[in-house]
This record gives sequence, structure tokens and C-alpha cells, in this order.
Amino acid sequence: MTHTCVCIAVVLAGTGAFGPASLPVAAQSGAGQASIEERLTRVRADLFSRAEHLTEDIQELKAILAVDPRSAEAHLLLGIGYRTLGTAELMGEAVAELRQALELNPDFVPARFYLARMYLDLGRATRAREELEAGLVRVPNNPQFLALLGEAERQLKKPGRSVELIRQALRADESFAEARYYLGLALFDLGRRDEAIRELEQVVQSGPRMADAYLNLGIAYLEAGRFDKALQTLSQGTGIDPSRPDVRIQLARAYRSKGLLGKADEQLTRAMPRVTASLASPFAQHQQLEFDFYLEQGFLRLQQGRLDAAGKALRKALAIDPSDERTKPLQDRLRARQAGDRR
Amino acid sequence: MRIRSVAALFVLCVPALSSGQAAKNPPPRPALFVDATAKSGITFVHQSGASAEKRMVETFGSGVAWIDYDNDGFPDLYFVNGAPGTAHALYRNNRDGTFTDVTRQAGVSGEGAGANAYKTGVAVGDYDNNGYLDLYVTAFGPNVLYRNNGDGTFRDVTSAAGVAGGPSEWSTSTGFLDFDRDGDLDLYVVNYLDYRLNDSPYCGLRKPGYRMYCLPTLFDGTADRLFRNNGDGTFADVSRQSGIANPAGKGLGISICDFDQDGDPDIYIANDMVRNFLYRNNGNGTFEDVAYGAGVGFDLNGKPQAGMGTDCADYNGDGRPDIFVTNFSEELNTLYENQGGGIFEDVSTKAGLGSGYVPLGFGTKLFDFDNDGDLDLHVTNGHVIDNIKLYQPTLTYAQKDLLYENVGGRFRDVSLQSGPALQRERIGRGLAVADFDNDGHLDVVITSVGQRPTLLRNQGVQGGNWILIRARGRKSNAFGLGATVKVETSEGRQVQEVNNVASYLSSNDIRLHFGLGKAKIIGRIDVLWPSGVRQVLNGVAVNQILLIEEP
Repeated sequence: MTHTCVCIAVVLAGTGAFGPASLPVAAQSGAGQASIEERLTRVRADLFSRAEHLTEDIQELKAILAVDPRSAEAHLLLGIGYRTLGTAELMGEAVAELRQALELNPDFVPARFYLARMYLDLGRATRAREELEAGLVRVPNNPQFLALLGEAERQLKKPGRSVELIRQALRADESFAEARYYLGLALFDLGRRDEAIRELEQVVQSGPRMADAYLNLGIAYLEAGRFDKALQTLSQGTGIDPSRPDVRIQLARAYRSKGLLGKADEQLTRAMPRVTASLASPFAQHQQLEFDFYLEQGFLRLQQGRLDAAGKALRKALAIDPSDERTKPLQDRLRARQAGDRR
Repeated sequence: MRIRSVAALFVLCVPALSSGQAAKNPPPRPALFVDATAKSGITFVHQSGASAEKRMVETFGSGVAWIDYDNDGFPDLYFVNGAPGTAHALYRNNRDGTFTDVTRQAGVSGEGAGANAYKTGVAVGDYDNNGYLDLYVTAFGPNVLYRNNGDGTFRDVTSAAGVAGGPSEWSTSTGFLDFDRDGDLDLYVVNYLDYRLNDSPYCGLRKPGYRMYCLPTLFDGTADRLFRNNGDGTFADVSRQSGIANPAGKGLGISICDFDQDGDPDIYIANDMVRNFLYRNNGNGTFEDVAYGAGVGFDLNGKPQAGMGTDCADYNGDGRPDIFVTNFSEELNTLYENQGGGIFEDVSTKAGLGSGYVPLGFGTKLFDFDNDGDLDLHVTNGHVIDNIKLYQPTLTYAQKDLLYENVGGRFRDVSLQSGPALQRERIGRGLAVADFDNDGHLDVVITSVGQRPTLLRNQGVQGGNWILIRARGRKSNAFGLGATVKVETSEGRQVQEVNNVASYLSSNDIRLHFGLGKAKIIGRIDVLWPSGVRQVLNGVAVNQILLIEEP
């Protein structure tokens, strides 16, 4: 079997947020026949540029694997395709394809990169770190690996180490918006809110079509008491992805903070979390969303003077997670209001 | 009763079918199966080790094996127990519908080495060709091989044989096969997840009572293992070099058939929430996963399913082994019809299997329960999430089995018409089939998580002639695993492979059973042994247990 040198563009598959990034590594693929190589080239180009052809790309990759089940690159691209589709039921299959790509070719660095991304998507930061560290042995100082490792470290509650790694990535590529976004998150976790805001503002100014950047900058503004900026940024976030209830919940919070209680109510209504019937759904995320919703609803009802409704929302939040400290201010304020009313 | 050789065929008496009673209002059809557990004397209760930590391994249950360990011609029963420190159970068949617990004297309680593991699956095969069936028990932890000493006792030979597997691997279904056709049995071990008991994440909502068993997407898969028999009581781990060590797999079920009919066994692995594998045997000690090309990795829509149990057999009488896989609730169980040329077609809906959509299937077997000459289907069900009702009120942890009758190549759900034993809900996991009373009608045993097993005796109400075939290899392995047997009667031709590996965590009777319908005589039996030897028998009587010895 001949090994063909193939450059894989490590694009931010699944987000399309920051546009194509640099090529981290030249990798070897297992595709042996020219015709298969041509087909892979076609799919690769398509996959990284035209998401609307995803289904066809996936079918083509399966057809390639029917001919050459040992093509590491086909397994890699299929894993990326599944991840880009973004459905919870295919997340496991995406990981499986990427792991098979690595089994077939342990030096296949792009597979390691995307596998790490998948692990982060699934909340498995430790496994992501393992893959990224293994990858960095092969491609030392690669900014994409460094930035993603920084994000993994942040998720593992090591924001200091995270900042260090991401700054290293940015030294190699100052225009690397994704790294800057991760840097903003890490600085925020470190309590360096103003620095975080500066980094996130830079990211947002580059105009990414990614609601998360707006969401996190909006939250940072809220924490800083900059409510007008928060309103503006979170509104942009809902414009980019109107289906994101988490952005709407924060937007409701911004409106409430400005005293615009009617508008806050409207956003909360639109954010109402839907109980999902599918067991393949990410419960942790759903649970977080539901908790945030009821917490914000509790604060809003309190501010509206609807103490019973505030108490009800608080109880719902506590039923989801009684240990979350964020309920404490609501409990205290509700208790104080109730005591005041009794007096 | 001793089985005699082919030179001395004999006929077993079959209970006369009830005749007459052609009343104007016929009585309700007698139950196809009756629950014979209470009468059987089987008192085994599975212990899952269920805990507040919701360790996944607790809910996947344990298997069961039919094993004629004393070679008296009547299949005995071996139940695997789950939780650490619990004992397995071996029941000797008393030949009168009852069983006696002989676990202690046989030395297979599993309370020695590996006692701290969660035990899962079981395989049966004569790995040392001494004429007695051995046992291999898988676990989340080290697996155990018990050699049958031939005197009613077994010895733990795991260490010497080198088949323990990884100390913290989660092994599930397993099976003996002679993949290199060298005359001794090799061993395939399916592995599930890279899971750590002491690092079990919290899954489900954090409301009280809502913690649930995690989904496999949270964990990596682990590569299966293939042990090649060295012929001297030891095995070599050839997983990597043979090409089956794919870490993408999250395997729960295995079935083995010669799908491409090239004379060597191929392997199908049912994976949980990732695509299934079909390992084509290249005939040179290696395998190639051809699932993509064959069309057996995904469902009709190209999506991976949550595969649990599996079986392979020729359900439509075209001479080619098809594949059946049980899946998660709200997924159809999948029937892949072998089209020949390495291609399969998902015919699940077309074949009438729609009623499998809601329940969560585990153990399964294609077998002829009404002796009419085609293969019917049994699926035992049970959810994996014990508090599933909190999340999906329409679903339950315990569920009813599904029984399908094959009617001209299409399955008809006859669960409701098959007697009260089929109406009971259980947390079904293992399922294994044997004619334990040698009456010519195949019976079923089912394991349930944390519950007593169920022994379903086939009452043979639909009659039909039959033959049971026990293969004895000489150049081939001692029990002829992998031999292909074609049976021709006036009613048609059937093909089966000697193969006790199927279902989920379980092992079926090693004898072949053919339902023969109204045929009075078998015109021809054609045996292709794994050694390559062909053997033909002509004019064979029906309704007998036939020992065929490799020439």
C-alpha cells in the first residue's frame, strides 16, 4: 500500500466561526488508489467549504470505506462530517471514526486534533488533553493544538495554565481568533474580567458567526454592570442564532438589570426550555439551561413583586440542583422581601 | 440416555399430537410456551449489584449457557451471576424436566479468582478437544476459563491458558470458533467500554431520584480480543495482527456465520451506538471489517444503532445466512438479508418486525419453534435505565418479550397468542435455546437483571417433525463448530451451521435442530466439516437425535 502525503486543513468544523485556519500538519493517509484519493480530495474540499452537501459527503465517504475500509483519512473525514452534522446521536460515531483513523495510523495528527475537539464537545476535557499532548509531541508549538489544549486546561479548572498555553499560541499566530476567544474565557475564569472583555471584544469585532462569543462577552458585560453593552451584544447573539435559549436567558437578565421587565419577560418566554424526549440528548446541558431559566425567572418575578411566583421558580431551580450557590442571593432577597411584607 | 452413532439411528417418541376435537367452536390454542421455571427446581437469582452510584455494568445483566457438561445427551444449564462476590450456578439436567444444582461439586461458582469482578457473558466449547465442553466466563475484570475435567468437575485454567484479557476490561459476549480451521477452537471476546468503576460520572438530571445509568457516548470503546488456540492448552492474543482490534467498537453482541460461504467463519459484532462490524475472514489468519461495503453497519437511514444482541441464520431459506440485531428502544431491531456477493439489505420493516420499535431488545435467537421448517424469532426485552419512566413515561424498565412466527419469509408477531409466560414483563438480557427435554421442540431460557431466570418449555403444540444433530469432529474440532449442514426433505432444503454463539452474553445448545414439518424422511443430509471434508447421509429418519461423526 502506498502512503500519500495529504495536507488536511484543520478547520473549525461544526462552527464555521472563524473561517479556515492554517494547516497544522502534513499527514499520511491510507488511501492507496488514485481514484479513491481523488474522491477524498473532492470530499475534503467540499466538507470544509460547503456544509449544505454534508449528507452527500458522508455517503461518499461511506462508499469510499466500502472499497477501502482501512483508509485513515476517510475515517477522519467521516468523523468530521458527523461532528459537523451536530446531532447528539452521531457524536459517538464521530468519536469512533476518529479513533479508528488513529488506530489505522497513530501518526495521523489531524485525527488527534479533531478527536480532542470531540472530547471537549462531550465534556471530556481530560481525554482531550491526552490527545492534544500526544499531538504536540508530533507538532510542537502548533498554535491550534496549543489553543485547544489551553481550552482543555480551562475546562479542567486550570485557567492560569490555560492563559499561558493560549498566549503561546497567539505568539505564533496573533490573528488566531479562536485562541483569543479561549483566552477571554480563561481570563474571565481567573477573575480578570476587564482583560477578558478586551479579548472578547476583539473577537466579536472580527465578526464571527458564533453565538457563543456574543454570549460570553454579554455575560462579562453583565458582571461588569455594563448593561447597555450587554443588551447590544446579547441581541446580536440572538440575531446570529435565534434558537439559542441560553443567549435569550442572559438577554432577559440584561433587560431586567435595566428595569425593562416586560422585555425581560418576553425573552424568557421565548427561552422556555423544551423538555427533550430523546435520551441521546445532552442532559447536563439541558439541566443547566433549565436551572438558569428558573433562576432568572425567580429574579424577574421578585423584581415584579410577584413573590409567590418567585418562590415557585426558586423551588424549581433548587429541585434541579439544590447545591448550586447561585440560588443563595435569590433566596436571601426573597426572604428579605417576604419579611418586609409581613412587617 | 446416550447418543449413539450414525450407524445406529434411533427414533425418539414424540408425544402424539392431539387429534380430533374438531368442534364447532375450537378451544383456544394451547400456549406455545409454558413457564417451567418453578417445576424445574432452578432457584438461581441474578444479583446485579445495583447501587446509588448507577455503575453502568449493573444494568447490563449476565448471560446463560446450555452446556451438556456430562455428555449424557441432555443439555445442562449454567447461569452467570453479576455482582462481585456472587456465585454462578450450574444445574444438571435430571432428564425429567427438573434440574439439580451441582455448582459446588463442579467447581464453577466463580468465587475464586476474579470474584471481585462483575461477571457478564459465557461461551461454551471444547477448546482442548477432550470431548467435554468447557466454559469461558467474561467479566468487567479478568475473564475465566474453566476446563471440563470429564468427571463432573472443572478447573480454572485461565492463567495457564492466557485468556484472562485485560484486568479492567469490560468484556461482554464471547464465543468459541475455529477461525483458522486448524482443528482446535479459538476464542473471540467482545469488549464494550473503557469504563472505570471509581470514576463513574453523574448522569441524568440532578433532581432526587433522577440519577440514571450513563449512555455509552460518554465513554470510549475498547478493542475486542481474539485468542488463537496454540493446541497445547495455551492461547495467543492475535487481536492486532488479525485485524479485529478496533478501539472504535462498543461491542455487546456477537454472531458467527460463514456469510460469504467461502468455508471459514466470519464474525459480526453488534456495537452500542456506534456502527456494527462485519469481520470477513480472509482465510489467512486475518479479518477485514467489510461492514461499510456489506451494508450491515447502520440502519436503513445510515445511522448507527444501539446494538445489543445478534444472531445469524438463514431466515428466508435462500441458503445464505442473514443477520439479526436487537437495538435500543425507539429503534427497530434490524434484519439484514444476505443478498449474496457480500451485500446485505435492511429488510426489518419489510419482514414485519415493526413491533420491536418500542421495547429495548437484548437476547435473541432465530430458531424453529413450531417445527415447520423455517426459522422463527424470539427477542427478550428490558430497558437499561431503571428509572426510565421518569424521563419517558411511556417506557418501562421491565418489558415483555417478542415472539415472531416466520410465515413464508415474513415475521408475524405472535407474542400475545403464545401463552401467559410470554406476557410477563422482565428485565430481559440473556437468552439461550435448547431442546432440554429432548422432545424435539426447542425451549428457551432467559435471564433478567436482579431476578430469577425464566425457563420456557415448548409444548410442541404445532407438531411438526424434527431432527437434532450432534456433530462429532475428528480432524475438525470435537463438536464440529463451524460445520455446515444441509438437510433436504420433501418440504425443501434447509442450511444451518453448527454454531452455539449468538444472542447476548449467552450460549445456545451446540446441537443443531431442524424443524421438518410433515416430512416423513430426510432424503439427504450434506455436511461440510471445517476441515473441508464433505459427508453425505441419505434416507435419514425424522424425529431423532442423530450423532454425525466426521469420517
